[in-house]
Parts: sequence; C-alpha cells; structure tokens
Amino acid sequence: MSRPIIDMRGIVKSFYVGTPNELEILHGLDIVVPEGQFVSIVGASGSGKSTLMNIVGALDRQTGGQYILDGIDVSRLEDADLSGIRNKKIGFVFQTFNLIARTSALKNVELPMLYAGVPAKERTKHAKELLEIVEMSDREKHMPNELSGGQKQRIAIARAMANDPAIILADEPTGALDSKTGRLVMDIFHKLHKEQGKTIVLITHNPELAEETDRIITLSDGNIVSDVLKNKPGEAKEAAE
Amino acid sequence: MNFIENVKLAFASLKANKMRALLTMLGIIIGISSVIMINTMGSIMENSVNDIFDSQGGASLVGFQITLKPNPVRDYYTSNDLMTEDMIYNVAERFSDDVDALSLVYGTDSATTRFKREKLDLVVYSISPGYLKQSMTGVIKGRYISDKDITKHGKVCVISDKQAIKLYGSLDNAIGQTLSIDMYNQSYDFTVVGIYEYQLTGMMSAMVNMMGEDWNNEVYIPYTTMAEIQGDSDPLFFYFYVNIKDGVNATKFAEEVKDYMNNRFYRNNDSIEVYYATAEQQMEMMGEILGLVSMVISVIAGISLVVGGIGVMNIMLVSVTERTREIGVRKALGAPNSAIRTQFIIESVIICLIGGAIGIVSGILLGNLVGLLMDATATPSIGAILLAVTFSMAIGVFFGFYPANRAAKLDPIEALRYE
Ligand SMILES: Nc1ncnc2c1ncn2[C@@H]1O[C@H](COP(=O)(O)OP(=O)(O)OP(=O)(O)O)[C@@H](O)[C@H]1O
Ligand SMILES: [Mg+2]
Repeated sequence: MSRPIIDMRGIVKSFYVGTPNELEILHGLDIVVPEGQFVSIVGASGSGKSTLMNIVGALDRQTGGQYILDGIDVSRLEDADLSGIRNKKIGFVFQTFNLIARTSALKNVELPMLYAGVPAKERTKHAKELLEIVEMSDREKHMPNELSGGQKQRIAIARAMANDPAIILADEPTGALDSKTGRLVMDIFHKLHKEQGKTIVLITHNPELAEETDRIITLSDGNIVSDVLKNKPGEAKEAAE
Repeated sequence: MNFIENVKLAFASLKANKMRALLTMLGIIIGISSVIMINTMGSIMENSVNDIFDSQGGASLVGFQITLKPNPVRDYYTSNDLMTEDMIYNVAERFSDDVDALSLVYGTDSATTRFKREKLDLVVYSISPGYLKQSMTGVIKGRYISDKDITKHGKVCVISDKQAIKLYGSLDNAIGQTLSIDMYNQSYDFTVVGIYEYQLTGMMSAMVNMMGEDWNNEVYIPYTTMAEIQGDSDPLFFYFYVNIKDGVNATKFAEEVKDYMNNRFYRNNDSIEVYYATAEQQMEMMGEILGLVSMVISVIAGISLVVGGIGVMNIMLVSVTERTREIGVRKALGAPNSAIRTQFIIESVIICLIGGAIGIVSGILLGNLVGLLMDATATPSIGAILLAVTFSMAIGVFFGFYPANRAAKLDPIEALRYE
C-alpha cells in the first residue's frame, strides 16, 4: 500500500463573520489520499471545495481536526514554515491561471525555484525541461498578455511542477477554458499522473472530467456525501476503510 | 529571492508605469538636485572668492578706515576727521617691519578722452604706487606709478592693455604716448608709462556680465597729481590699505595699528576713530552669506525630500494594492514574507535612486549654469554625491518599508481572492 500524502481527520473550518457569528463551513471531514492518486472533488457551488483546497494547500489552517501532509503536522507550523511547505510540497493551479504579469513564461516557471534558492543556471535548465513537458518551449520568452488561456494554463502547470511537489492542487483549472482547450489541459494532468506518478487533487464542476480520475469525492454543504474509487480495485479497498 | 531578480522586477514594474514613476520621483529629484546645486555653487563661490583675494594680495591685505565711535557726539565727518598723508606715512614708518606695501586711494573720478571723433569714458584712479602692486591687475608693459611720480606730481598714467590697443594699436607703441584726460572742465596731458593686464575673475566678472558694462576703462595716476589738479595741498583719506609681509598675523597687526592710530591721532576726537577690515574677515563674511544661502536651499531640499519620500510611500501603497493578487500568487508559490518585503523595498529604493541620479546630474548642470555667469565651472565633491546617493537610498528604505511590510503581511487567501 502507498503511504498517505494527505491525511485529514475531522477537519473543521469556521469563519468568524462579526464577533458572535461563527460560520462553520466544513463539518469534520476525513480524507486520506495515498501517494500517486488522482482525486477529483466535486460539489455544488459554495459547498466548501475551495475552502478545503486552501487547507490542503497550506494556505489556510483548519479550525479543528488534524492534517498531516506528507508526514508533517501542518497545524503546528509557523507561517514562515508554511511558506516553505507550499513552496516544496504543493503545486497550485488556479482557474484564472495567475501568471505574474510582465514576467516571461520561463521566469514564471522559475519562480518557485527562485524562492527555493535554486541557483540561476539550474533554475533555467529545469524550467525549460518543464516547458517541454507542457509543450510550451516555443513560448518561453512570451509575456502572459501574449498568451492564450490554454497556453497560460499549461505554463501555470509547468510552474506548479517546478519544485517537484508531492501534490498538485488544481481548483477548476479548466473552468475558464473552452472544452477543447480544457481537454488539452486535462491530458497534461493525466500525463503527469501516469508518467511521473504525481498525486493530483482536482476540483471540477465537470462530471465527465471527474469520471476520468481515480476517485471522486463529493461535497455538499461542508460534508462528504460520497467518496467513490474507480478503475483501481486495489486502492478502492483502502479508501473504503 | 535573489537580488538581481528583484532589481529586474522593479525596473519592469517601473517601466510599466513610466509617467507615474517619474512624477513620483519629482520630489526626490528636486531635493537631491538642490543639495548638489548648492554644493557645486558653493565650491564655485569659494574658488572665485579665493581668486579675488589672491589677486589682491590674498590674506595679506588689511584695510583701515575712519568710522563713528560707539557713542558719537555727531554722526557726520568733517575734514578734521580724515586721515592725512602724514598720519598714514607715520604708521607705515612705525610698522615698517610688518608692512610690505601701502596703498592710498585719493579718489576715483569720471573723465573722458577724445579718440578720433569718439568720446571715450574713463575712470581715473588717483592712487599711490602700492595700489597697483596689490590690485588684481598686474603691469605687463612699462612700469608702475613710482614714488618719484608721487613726489614730483608727475603727469603719468597706467592704462589697460585693451585701451592701449584701441588707442595706440599695440602695447609697445603705447608707452610714451600722450593721453589727454578731460576732467573738471579742463584737459590734462598724461604720459603713458605702463600698461596693466585687463582681467576680471570670478564674482567681479559675474557682476560685470550682469551689468553688461566693460570695466577696462580704468586709468591710474599718482594721487598727488590729482590733488594738485584739484588745488588740494593737503590730501585727505577715508581709508588706506596695507599689504603685510609674509608671516605677519593680520588680525594682530590690524589691532596694533588701530590702537596706535586711535591713541595717537584720534584720542581727542569726540566722534571718530579708526577701524580695520582684514581679507580674512571679508572671506569669513562671504562664507557666512554663502552659509545662509546654503541653509535656505537645504531647508527647501529637506522639505522636498520628505515630500518626495511621502510621494514614494504613496505610490508604493498604490502599487501594493494593484498587485495584491500577484502577492497572493507569490505566497501560494512559496514566497516567504521576507521575500515579498524585500521585493517592494528594492522597488522603492530603485525609484529613489533613479530620482537621486537624475537629481545629481541636474544639480551639477544647474550649479554650473550659475557658475557660467562667473566664468567658472565646478563639480560637487565626491562626498556630496555619495551623501546624495546614500540619502536617496535611505529615503527609499524608510518610506518603502511601511508599504512593503503591508504587502508582506497580506493574508494569502484574501490576496488571491482580491479582484
Ligand atoms: N473568508 C470567508 N469568510 C466567510 N465565509 C467564507 C469565507 N470563505 C469562504 N466562505 C464561505 O464558505 C462557503 C464555501 O466556499 P468555497 O469557496 O469553499 O465554495 P466552493 O465549493 O469552492 O464554491 P465554487 O464551486 O463556487 O468555487 C461559501 O458559503 C462561502 O461564502
Ligand atoms: Mg471554489
């Protein structure tokens, strides 16, 4: 059995909207994701998918419960350590791409390595390799405003891969793309999953795309209402425990 | 995050908002450029003041003049109050160990001379031989007014090289010629015995340039001759100058002479005494004036630097707000707070440094523009430039810190959500 990369027990998230009004968004979620799994999270708008994703990605802390990320108890970490976790363990892909403006495709891909202190030469070399993987080598000098949505998203995926993270977190990565371009992006995720064994968590509103993944977790009003394993019988048993 | 990347990034973001960046820099530019301008002008002034004093015998020049006593009975002079030749020669005799040259100015009179069909203006200086020795003009052909000219009331004169060429064609030709000087409704013939080099330095030439007047019309004659022309058998003086010998302490000498003269000649005078001015004092006074001007400009510079700094802070706050989402993304990619802070501080420092650099260049140019009036150029001291650079960096750090810190402390999720 693969060891868990994400190990969440009884995760609760509340927001405080004005002093007395505590608003609980996630009501005690248990999620265990083994290494190399391609998970999709689906659910109605406002069901708490992004909120969950922020906790998984160490951008936010849970209000209650325990979260072990790749063996590290994230809730005990200082802010400064959290940025290190995000830098090395997590690769974010956003719906709106979020490339840094006035910064070339290559430099965007280099950015996480820059924060990790990778020397310039190595940085550039690796960034070029990553652009190769997402088939954007010919666009390395382009600025974000010179690229199409699909191209931007491919570069964003390359950037997410820069420090070889344990998990790629993608929050509706195809949401802003037409279905054909979305397909292309989806294919890249499959490629990373198959060829590099990456653990990928994908939030999507598209049931067809969710169907392509190993496992579908459905959220409704901050609760898990279904957690279905597919294709891989071996792992289905584990998750069912 | 490494430094060069930050610098490149800062330039990229400045390039995206060139006009805004330039306007932001304006305060810094004005501030730094005034500091540098003062410094440049200061060294020009200093050089030129030194030039003048050097050409007039430098620090060795001491002047004595009559002035009102602290509690005078009357506030006007009578002919009894003025210094006589005897008094002055007595002083020169008494202090002969210290005195190198003595110069008397009996008066300066307007006169004219006829040249072809023109009437040329002259200014006639009635002086003693020492005057030409200590004045800024040196005799380049012929001789000075001599002691013999003084005793004999000789009708001789020393003219400028420009006059010589204009009136007689060449310097050689001028010596021995007769110059007819028309004054006091009569014409007097003087023999040209010497020619001085016409030159104006520093501040003098600045004044001349400003007034558009050419001062090469000075003619020097023995003061005794002028006294005779005016029917004055006992010439009187308001003041006289002394060039002291090397190694003599000007102030001590001046005090001694003053006391000597007041004791000997002015003890019984109810209202008048002798006072002195040394070149050193004059230079100090110039220095004080310059210091005052510097202070005023420094205050202006200080104010514009502070205003400029606040402008930088303001624009950095705007920049942080505009780039909230970018900051969120950077944090999601793993940028620690310190990296975000550094990024924005470097941007603010670069705005200030560019402003500072423009300020330094324009300050040197402006300073030299003023210097142009004085026929002098100067560069500010390296120290001043270093100070300006350091200061603009400090402003960048100081006024950039608050916005940068605000960026660093943004909550990543809030920042990512920012529209
Ligand atoms: N900072 C916050 N303060 C208060 N409430 C919040 C905050 N962030 C999220 N919420 C609430 O939490 C709930 C879940 O939001 P979330 O963004 O996780 O939904 P989602 O499942 O990602 O929806 P969508 O599919 O539309 O992206 C929403 O009701 C939202 O209003
Ligand atoms: Mg969402």
